[in-house]
Amino acid sequence: MASNPMQQFSVHKIGPEIKIAGIDLSFTNASLFMVISASMILLFLFFGTKEKKIIPDKIQLISEIFYTFVAKMISDTAGSKAKPYFPFIFSLFMFVLFCNMVGMLPYSFTVTSHIIVTLIMALFIFIAVTIIGFAKHGFRYLSIFVPSGVPTVLLPLITVIEIISYLSRPVSLSVRLFANMMAGHTMLKVFGGFVISLGLLGGWLPLGFSIALTGLEILVAFLQAYVFAILTCIYLNDALNLHH
Amino acid sequence: MKRHFGFIIALLAIQNDLFAAEAGMPQLDPKYWASQAFWLILVFTILYISIAKFYLPKIKNNLDNRENKIKDDLDDANKFKELSENKFKEYEKILENAKKEVIKIQIESKNKLDKDIKTKKETVEKEIEKEIIKAQKEISDLKKNSISDIQKISENIASNIIESISGDKLNESSIKAVVEDVSKKNLGKYL
Repeated sequence: MASNPMQQFSVHKIGPEIKIAGIDLSFTNASLFMVISASMILLFLFFGTKEKKIIPDKIQLISEIFYTFVAKMISDTAGSKAKPYFPFIFSLFMFVLFCNMVGMLPYSFTVTSHIIVTLIMALFIFIAVTIIGFAKHGFRYLSIFVPSGVPTVLLPLITVIEIISYLSRPVSLSVRLFANMMAGHTMLKVFGGFVISLGLLGGWLPLGFSIALTGLEILVAFLQAYVFAILTCIYLNDALNLHH
Repeated sequence: MKRHFGFIIALLAIQNDLFAAEAGMPQLDPKYWASQAFWLILVFTILYISIAKFYLPKIKNNLDNRENKIKDDLDDANKFKELSENKFKEYEKILENAKKEVIKIQIESKNKLDKDIKTKKETVEKEIEKEIIKAQKEISDLKKNSISDIQKISENIASNIIESISGDKLNESSIKAVVEDVSKKNLGKYL
């Protein structure tokens, strides 16, 4: 019988238990795949920047495409003021993308399918963006809650809605990535389980689904990384370029 | 197909029962939250620092280098193009000048040649005229001399013939008079 499709998300520790001030910080399979993803990024960038050719080879070209892709994304959404945050957005995009992609390998672990991971990233972005907003504009930053051109009668209601939507940004940002990753992997596992349980006779149909879903999941892995990065850019844009 | 869907639905039901039995999303178990947060922050910080400090500047440098190289090359190409256009214009100018000069030289040489030919012709004509005059004079002299010579010879022949025929020597002056008379009559026919 097929194993529990949620089994793949369970975290277990690898190696000795590390406890600092009573908090369990043991190295787990989640940590391992974070390290693997980060190492893959660094390895990829190492080979991508190893030779500085005028006419790039394949890996150099790919790293340059990633660079220009993220640079264009930032300049399109947040403008030139967001340039100092380019390394952060680039790292974020690459990290989420590689975690998602590494998660697509069989028997691997998807780091981004854990709400705590995505929530920490989203909260960091949320807090950083809020700090940037206040640092750049002072208390005038609060004017993003008061959109211009709204009738005075509706203004209190709109302001409340704006505040709620602003505060729900980290939740929506983190849950979007987490839920997409978890749902996709669960579905893959369920269909994989069907292939085994239906056997040679009936297993072909779920196998076909499984293959199609794998393609879809690779697309989703890329798309969610892109969405995560572009939403960060949009939030950054709100903080950098205050609209009146 | 319907049979397959039936199978799938049945199996889904069984599996859903299984989820319910085992209950849960490991994501919501807070046991390793602190560990995940800690490792995430650690790994991401290292990743961020190495990307921001080493790799992005490298990529940026290389992209800038390439852009500069392309720009420089294009500038160079434009410069060379301008240069070659200027050279071409210069060359055309030179060619035009040369053509003009050729025409000038042609006209000049033609004029000179004409003049030369004319003067030479004139001198030659003059010389020819001189020669003709000289020749005519010579001829007329010769004519005159020949007439007197002929007369003398004729007198001699005549006196010799008369002497050999008659054996007498005739008066020279009478012979001379007769010869002169005859030659005056006939000499005009031959000379």
